[in-house]
Amino acid sequence: MKTSGAFHARLLEAWIELRQNPGRSFLQALGVMLGVASVLGGFSISDSQRQQTQRVFARVGGIDKLNVMPTDTVYQGTPSALHNANLGLRLEDAVDGGKVPTAKAVNATSVIKSARARVRSEFADQERDVNGIGADYVPLNGYEVEQGRGFSAHDFATGAPVAVLGSEAASVFFPTGEIVGKPLRIGNVPVTVIGVFHEKNFRFREGQQNIFAWRNRIVAVPSLLVAARMEGDQYHRLNRVTFRVPDLKAMADFSKELSSLVTSNHRLETDFRLDDVAKRLQRQMSQGDVYNIIFMLSGVLALIGGGMVNVNIQLASLKERVREVGVKMAIGAPGKEIFKAFMTEALLLTLLGSAAGFLIGIAFSWVITKSIGVPLALAPLSFVWATLLAVVFGFLFALYPAAKASRQSPMEALRYE
Amino acid sequence: MNIIETRGLTKVYGSNGNAVHALRGIDLVVGRGEYVALIGPSGSGKSTLMSILGCLDVPSGGTYALDGRQVEKLSGADLAAIRNEKIGFVFQQYNLLPRATILRNVELPMLYAGVPRKERRQRALDLLERVGIPDKANVLPGALSGGQRQRVAIARALANRPALLLADEPTGALDSKTGQEVLALFRELHAQGNTVLLVTHDPAIAATAERRVELHDGLVLRDQMEKAA
Repeated sequence: MKTSGAFHARLLEAWIELRQNPGRSFLQALGVMLGVASVLGGFSISDSQRQQTQRVFARVGGIDKLNVMPTDTVYQGTPSALHNANLGLRLEDAVDGGKVPTAKAVNATSVIKSARARVRSEFADQERDVNGIGADYVPLNGYEVEQGRGFSAHDFATGAPVAVLGSEAASVFFPTGEIVGKPLRIGNVPVTVIGVFHEKNFRFREGQQNIFAWRNRIVAVPSLLVAARMEGDQYHRLNRVTFRVPDLKAMADFSKELSSLVTSNHRLETDFRLDDVAKRLQRQMSQGDVYNIIFMLSGVLALIGGGMVNVNIQLASLKERVREVGVKMAIGAPGKEIFKAFMTEALLLTLLGSAAGFLIGIAFSWVITKSIGVPLALAPLSFVWATLLAVVFGFLFALYPAAKASRQSPMEALRYE
Repeated sequence: MNIIETRGLTKVYGSNGNAVHALRGIDLVVGRGEYVALIGPSGSGKSTLMSILGCLDVPSGGTYALDGRQVEKLSGADLAAIRNEKIGFVFQQYNLLPRATILRNVELPMLYAGVPRKERRQRALDLLERVGIPDKANVLPGALSGGQRQRVAIARALANRPALLLADEPTGALDSKTGQEVLALFRELHAQGNTVLLVTHDPAIAATAERRVELHDGLVLRDQMEKAA
């Protein structure tokens, strides 16, 4: 059979057939619509959630951070001489960590030494956590200086008596709004406020609380100031060292080298804890996967259900159309042509159903995301998946009725009443 | 060359125990340009013979050459191609596709034959003119009278310039006046050189053909040549 405009003709015929039987066509397309809507809607909702989560991570300075923290090594009994002799995590570890071969993947390092201290200004007197910070702590944690200036390298190197306040801390200790240049007393150390951080604000859903409120409470000073003048610690011990490694694969290598370096620095005692990079890698890849699978599954179930309905409707409608098929065969349509005509109809139905499913899916995910207050994210890939699944199932379920129609004997089909 | 040439054509339905012998050995030769009426009461095997001559069915035994081509052993797809190329069917119930326009109905056999779009359209329009309904190309079959529908069916049958025009009780659903008009059209087509095989149970209609082949119990009972009245 030559195909001079044959596909076009079949498509037209399929369209006429569908248009002439709106009720039947709608029922047949319903399964496709629901399946597509379910897959698309599900994917879009989970995409929206994931994007929102990624926004959170972006606000805290990225998810590509490797943390090193000290841990207790003595859980019971008295510490051994070795335990006592160990210094724990300290600035030296951070500096050396930046020198291992794989450290070229590191693009920022931050250190923090916290202390609890009485903080006093001329307006307020409160017990507060004081963050002794160093290196790239400010950008790494997503802080921006709004007023005054941030810490200079010189401030960090000398442990200068200067402080930068979070917006909440600034409004508590300096309610008048005049902040930069004012004196503050942290423990017994007088410092000068040199800047204020921009207020950090992030809500998962509209109307929920600001999950970064605590970050606005920060009272930041150079870590050396805390170590030297508040704790009297000549080794500059730290609460946490953070390396930013944008490439997660490189982070895994770096993590191994860092671990052995710090272990040897600590006389082979593992008195520190490293983030589990492998687990993070896995989590990064599988984020939202469960939801995608669930939604895809429910979509597939809808498509299968719809497909079965389709088979039944097609078989029932085949009875009405047997004669027509017989006529076509009599005037020379080979079985293949009848098969193709039925398949074209199914395909057209699937595509129309998918288009309608898109609208339903978008509306569905819009309503859901709106109701939980998350911006709607529509990924092109979701459309591709939804269409692909619909076409695959539409095709599979169309095969049987189409084959049955095409295998009729033309003579019997013609005589069918 | 002969259009139809059968030798010992048999058809058996069912198997051993309750086999029905619909055809018991038909020898029939129809030359090009003949106008033959196939008559016989119901149960005589004329429908079966028509199905086989129309390549809708295959014989159980014997040989059948259509326009010089042996067709008794062909597969379904090949038979479809033969039907498309060599045979034009006209049925009692017209059998037009109800949801396609007249033009599309007439174009359909040409579509299966792979005739290019433009030519298809032109030929269909020419054919509609030839059968006397040039102005109904874009209506649906439902809007036409029985006689007009049968004319469309004839136009469709002629679409691929078939070797054989096979009409199965073409006037059976028409009133006698319209029936006469349709028969006149067949005679006209015959006069233009078409080979026509008319299947009917009505001797009056059969009388319009130049040759009458009468079947009885699966055999040719009579084969008469006679100038049409």
